[in-house]
Amino acid sequence: MLVEVRPTRKLRGAGALDLTACLAPIVDALCADPLDLSRLRLVCDWVQYKNNFRDVIDVRPVLAPVQQNSDAADPEEDKLEIAVDLRRCGDGDLAEIVRHVLACRTDPDGLERVYLEDWSEGTTSRIWEFNSLYWRFLGVWEEVTGRRYEQALPGGQSDARNIAGVHDLIRQMFGVWDDLAAHAALPDELYVLELGVGNGNQAKTWLDEFAKLDAEHGTEYYRRLHYMMCDYSEHVLGLARENVSDHAAHVSSFPLDATTPMTALGFLRFKVFLVYISNVYDNLPTEDVAQIGGHTYRAELRAYVSNGDAARIAGEFGIEPRALVGAIDKLLSLGPELLVDALSANFPDVARAAAFWMQVWNALKLEERYLPMTGLDLYQIAPGVNGEMLRPMLERHGDVRMQVSNGAVASFVDTLALLHPYGRLQCHDIFVTDPHQYRTGFLGPGKYDGSIVNWVNGPLLQHIGRRKGFDVSYAPFAHRTGSNIVTLTAQVRD
Amino acid sequence: MSEVPELAGRPLPLLPTTVVGSYSVPEWLERLKTDFYLHRISAAHLDEIHDVAIKAAIKDQERAGIHVVSDGELRRDNDIDYLLARIPGVTILNATKSYYYDYYDAEVPEPLATAETTALGLVDDFVFTRGQTDRPIKFSFTGPFSLSRRIRSSAYRDRADLVRSLAYALNGEARELVAAGATRLQIDEPFLAGYPDEVGLAIDAVNLVTKAVQADWALHVCYGNRYARPSWEGHYDFLFPAVLDAEVGTLVLEFARKGYGDLSLFERYPWERRLGLGVVDVKSEDIETPEVVAGRIRKALEVVPAELLIVNPDCGLRHLPASVARAKLRAMVAGAAAVRQELPDSPTVR
Repeated sequence: MLVEVRPTRKLRGAGALDLTACLAPIVDALCADPLDLSRLRLVCDWVQYKNNFRDVIDVRPVLAPVQQNSDAADPEEDKLEIAVDLRRCGDGDLAEIVRHVLACRTDPDGLERVYLEDWSEGTTSRIWEFNSLYWRFLGVWEEVTGRRYEQALPGGQSDARNIAGVHDLIRQMFGVWDDLAAHAALPDELYVLELGVGNGNQAKTWLDEFAKLDAEHGTEYYRRLHYMMCDYSEHVLGLARENVSDHAAHVSSFPLDATTPMTALGFLRFKVFLVYISNVYDNLPTEDVAQIGGHTYRAELRAYVSNGDAARIAGEFGIEPRALVGAIDKLLSLGPELLVDALSANFPDVARAAAFWMQVWNALKLEERYLPMTGLDLYQIAPGVNGEMLRPMLERHGDVRMQVSNGAVASFVDTLALLHPYGRLQCHDIFVTDPHQYRTGFLGPGKYDGSIVNWVNGPLLQHIGRRKGFDVSYAPFAHRTGSNIVTLTAQVRD
Repeated sequence: MSEVPELAGRPLPLLPTTVVGSYSVPEWLERLKTDFYLHRISAAHLDEIHDVAIKAAIKDQERAGIHVVSDGELRRDNDIDYLLARIPGVTILNATKSYYYDYYDAEVPEPLATAETTALGLVDDFVFTRGQTDRPIKFSFTGPFSLSRRIRSSAYRDRADLVRSLAYALNGEARELVAAGATRLQIDEPFLAGYPDEVGLAIDAVNLVTKAVQADWALHVCYGNRYARPSWEGHYDFLFPAVLDAEVGTLVLEFARKGYGDLSLFERYPWERRLGLGVVDVKSEDIETPEVVAGRIRKALEVVPAELLIVNPDCGLRHLPASVARAKLRAMVAGAAAVRQELPDSPTVR
């Protein structure tokens, strides 16, 4: 049996977690079971997100590769991973929970779960439909919770609206433009793009400061400026447009899926001088890959609600228990407003429909299993980017599990194609910047308001960027201390 | 007026098709090239792999119907290192790479020897290619100006002297290539567009490379193709009138990606030599149709006579997947053939 305890800070100091007390009953229960302990991994995390998709103890089958020769004398057998959330070790009788989940290996009904999907790839799980729902109906969520989404961000505001940072960026850009102009190589149209524009506060600050600095600079760059605001949410895009109305002649807005900016912005290929992205990548679909015992696996997911939660929610909204999944399907496809029309007996108004949405979301959990990969080159991280890009990280860091950040990679790669040869991409987000972090902490997924948050695989973006001719660097967000936010900067190398 | 005049070798039809130099580098080859630097495969195995890849690249070009083929530059990690590492006096500070396509850090601590007979070893590459095809071969190498931009040097008070010294070395190699049977040589200057003020120096250096070398010379100037991206922006205005002094028979330029506005330069300046017209965009995987290619050629024919027009991609095809490269070449050949049929007294390839 292999026991891996991720070295959380909670293991030391005053009020340290009593690891022995956590592990002893679990190990005792495992040893009492007849399973082959040589095929068992016990992985212990401190899941810092209070709202997450985990149970205190989860069982994850590690599936064996399909045998090419079914007559093989020694076919490889499945392995098992037991995942423990150390933060919740005091929540129950751990030995009993372990005995229960192990018994359910041969009696899956004993888990008492209502599944919302069959096993799926991590990026296509239904949890991403909930994430999408949040952004599509952000206005409803904000109204019901009485809280603007920006208040849910760490520190209560986007890191984007920092005047010193904005000035730095604009002045550097002026320097590039002055140089290009001196060589008669500055285009007539000067494009700046913001992905994930939010409520437009960043855009307004940026444009105000740009106009001011340009007037001081005396080069009339503002006259040639085109600021493109893009966001997935029509709601926030509308707010953003109002916010930047003073600059209306210089601003265009596009509803856009951040993973495919080229679909709407292909005409800007090699033309954009600055792409600005804030708090977008951590919220895009991702799945995990893991290196276990020298083999590479992808984590498949199955979303569920416990029978207990399902019965409670169905009861509260007057839904037949067996009709609950159908009601959730309708919520995800129609949204809370049309759900009122579709199921008016259960949801007399949007507030009740939103309450249903929030309760299902809070109850939503994930089962996981590991599926062996048959060749990294056959795995598509994102369009045009195959799994070979993962090889350096997987080969160098032994047994490791990490997010692939598929959506972030797709967005990043598609956005790089927009950059002018002297352009720059700047992104503020929560990035893993050292692969070692995958051994030392839990990096998602967590629930953040109605959305999903995963730390972004920074080393992977760095590697992919490098293979596409860009230097990708990370630095702590320079203009506010005490933030988890990291600044990614990508610029053409050589 | 049925054939393009040739210094040597076989006659070609009007609107002959060719490549700029590099050919699609498959992802597996990139991985193997990198594996070499990580000491996972030997130089001997990599050499054999290169031989096989080059044969396939030539076959692809032949099957596409390209008249003048290249070895695809598949032995070269990039446009710079293969040459720099072979020039005596150029020091490679760290000969390891984490990715084969990276540039070396190169330094010239002392002035380079100016002997014209320095052999850089490109002859072996040409001889190998000559043995694989009966078609005319274009052999390309990066020019002295661009090579100099990747060198750190305190050996020269005037950087122009470094450029000239590199030109001498390349001139010696060009003589060796011609002695080995090369007839079509091309100098690539992918960095020149980034330094438009230095075009005079670059052209002087080109003339040092071509000096007394009896070959059909071409000069290729583009906006860069590093990682399938342009490295520079601007227009070809900067080339003129300086390029009129270049001792080359063909100017090979990028048009398909940027548009054909710069064709007007050939009305404004008396360039009465050949133009290698870029008709497919090598930075896009979208495959041009033969009709699009034909339209681009017809546009060029408004300012350049057919007997002075050569049809080629914008730049090397190295960043395109092989299937896309093949399709683009086929479209290019078909487009050229369509226009050729419209010309009076249109000959066929012999």
